[in-house]
Amino acid sequence: MVAHLLRLKLQLLANLFRRSPLQLVGLVLGLIYGVGTGIIVIAGLFALRFVDAELARNTEVVFGAIIVVVYTVLPLFLGIDDTLDPRRFALFGMPNTKLASALAVATIVSIPAVVISAIALSLIVTWSRDGISVTLAVVSAVLIVATCLLSARVATSVAAFFLATRRARDLTGVLGVVALVCLTPVISALASVDWQRDGLTVLAGVERVVSWTPLGAAWAIPADAANGDFAGSFAKLFISIAWIGVLWLAWRGLVSLMLVTPERQPQAKRYAGLGWFDRVPHTPTWVIAARNLTYWGRDSRYGTSLVVIPLIPVVMIIALNIAGIPLQQLALLPVPIICLFLSWAVHNDVSFDNTAVWLHLSASTSGLADRWGRVIPVLLVGVPVLGIGSVLSVWVQGDWDLLAPLIGVSASILFSGLGLSSIMSAAFPYPTARPGDSPFAQPAPGATPAGMIQAFSFGAILLFSSPSIYFAFLGLTSNTDWYLRSLLTGLAVGLVVLIGGTLIGARVYTRRASDLLAFSMRN
Amino acid sequence: MRKPTVRKPRGAKEVPSAPRENALKITGLVKRFGEKTAVAGIDLEIAAGSFFGIVGPNGAGKTTTLSMVTGLLKPDFGSVEVHGVDVWSDPVAAKRKMGVLPDRLRLFDRLTGGQLLYYSGILRGLDAVTVKARTRDLAAAFGLDESLDRLVTDYSAGMTKKLALAAAMIHSPRLLVLDEPFESVDPVSAANVIEILQRYVAAGGTVVLSSHTMNLIERVCDSVAIVVNGAILDSGTMASVRGSKTLEERFVELAGGRKSAEGMEWLHTFSG
Repeated sequence: MVAHLLRLKLQLLANLFRRSPLQLVGLVLGLIYGVGTGIIVIAGLFALRFVDAELARNTEVVFGAIIVVVYTVLPLFLGIDDTLDPRRFALFGMPNTKLASALAVATIVSIPAVVISAIALSLIVTWSRDGISVTLAVVSAVLIVATCLLSARVATSVAAFFLATRRARDLTGVLGVVALVCLTPVISALASVDWQRDGLTVLAGVERVVSWTPLGAAWAIPADAANGDFAGSFAKLFISIAWIGVLWLAWRGLVSLMLVTPERQPQAKRYAGLGWFDRVPHTPTWVIAARNLTYWGRDSRYGTSLVVIPLIPVVMIIALNIAGIPLQQLALLPVPIICLFLSWAVHNDVSFDNTAVWLHLSASTSGLADRWGRVIPVLLVGVPVLGIGSVLSVWVQGDWDLLAPLIGVSASILFSGLGLSSIMSAAFPYPTARPGDSPFAQPAPGATPAGMIQAFSFGAILLFSSPSIYFAFLGLTSNTDWYLRSLLTGLAVGLVVLIGGTLIGARVYTRRASDLLAFSMRN
Repeated sequence: MRKPTVRKPRGAKEVPSAPRENALKITGLVKRFGEKTAVAGIDLEIAAGSFFGIVGPNGAGKTTTLSMVTGLLKPDFGSVEVHGVDVWSDPVAAKRKMGVLPDRLRLFDRLTGGQLLYYSGILRGLDAVTVKARTRDLAAAFGLDESLDRLVTDYSAGMTKKLALAAAMIHSPRLLVLDEPFESVDPVSAANVIEILQRYVAAGGTVVLSSHTMNLIERVCDSVAIVVNGAILDSGTMASVRGSKTLEERFVELAGGRKSAEGMEWLHTFSG
């Protein structure tokens, strides 16, 4: 049976390449990225061969532990479509242990397995210093591959099994983004360590702890031996073998549990009343706005954008601050950046509705109602951000003359962005993650050049805002009279593009409504 | 002494001599998807007050036809009139007269059932008070009272169908176009829905529904059209189409393609 499953897995791997050319390009890019990272790690391991044993141990164990973490955590967030989900074999009536081992063995036929095997084998080169170290490195390589693959296997099934409900999936998506962004301060903290001076001490400190955990134990076996610490080496050999045992038992238990547990039923939550619908006027325009507002809270595809947008300026500020620009000046950055991404975020709004948009079509909703319904929620969030945020920014920055151009530039970006998005979402929709899918699930790239549309919408917003930005720049560099002009131009251009954009967008929408539905049906 | 009365087709007007208005008139409807012709020239007139069934095998073009009728899919050729109003040249007026239940299209399923009904009602131009009153009535009639506060995405398939049906009726249209309305609906709910539809037809409304459950169509519809490969093979009153057979027999005869189950003897030698 192991042979059968291996052959099945090989076939599945081969099928990866039977796709449309564009998908293939994406796949190859992904491969290059994965293999490239692998090659860098391998090159590093080779280089460590020529470094003194203690430094080699510290570096290798710490980075090795990171690799194990990646193999464990990544499947949780990516929500990988598990081709070898144990439940798919539930109807074949195989004994649990046999199925569990066959499925575990089958994971060897996968790209991540090839990468980790190559890395583990390079470990032998790193420790080809004396007979015992090399022998232990071979053992260690086997243990590392087993640990990584079993961890990934268990994590994938945990993701598919426990995180399978809609709400859990929505949540992990959002949490994943937050976690990723929260890593930035950690990275910048790491970047602030004076590696020249303290680097090795920090590394050694981390190694001392990590090498005793299952994450680093397997990596430390040959490393300790090469450093003469045979007791440590054997203790860690024991730890890593024990850990593989734990993972194996967890995997076996998971398989037998999954085979007899039906898909998890989501706990249906109750929402009393009509929510936003009762708080807005009872007209088509406003119910569409209320629907969008409701979706912002309940649909992770919107949720992730809303979480990310305020974090973008934070990351930018940290990066620019590290680069040496004082925080006071950077305080002017968040408001225009948030306005830019807020207004840009809705440039593909119709596509997010997917085929549900038929209701608008069937009710012959007017183009203007549809357009404004999608613009209003952004204005409800954007205008307070613009007003309060600008005042706060200038207060931090200190020069109250800058309030006028800051409002001018931000308003120009927000309003013209919304106007342009109104046209774009009706004229050039492109496929996006479907309702209920993970916000990271990118749809199969079709004939629509999504990247070009995104870049074009983005560029057009900046283009329309350039007069206001330019006048603000003139104010900064030559004469403060330009500040008022920046404010007025920004407001005027923004409002004209907003009103013009919704009018044009409404016409396009009315003309193309059934094409829009046909488009979403193709996705 | 009472005379034995001839049973009228359901929904027939009380005055037989007056010509019945057409609720739906389809002329020369054609739709191609690339090489494949999905609908190959359909002509159909459906009188107001009919309970009209469209039957056909999988992939016969029922959904494509109904999508074009309801103004969701642009036809390549042909025209559709709803109570004399052309769907594609005067969509606003035509769509106001129609309630639609499409098959396999999503709903805004992150709304609660109550919110979705409200959304549909307001989009159809009703005022808030009317929508709320009708939501209560529809929820009671379709057995959705308990579920109005739950997200549509958490509904079962049958409940989703019932909710979509309720949403299709909320603006009291003159014509209901329902694509597979009873798919995955349990028999008790289906009986309730049929009763609602029958009362609607008795009051002068028109129902056009598609299905591949012949028994059901035969039981509830007064007229029927059989669609195969994008063309109508037979249409008319139920009695005239069916003849002396059951609708299912007549359908299989027209649609052809019955395969005899030979060469499967191994299925009868059980393995364990």
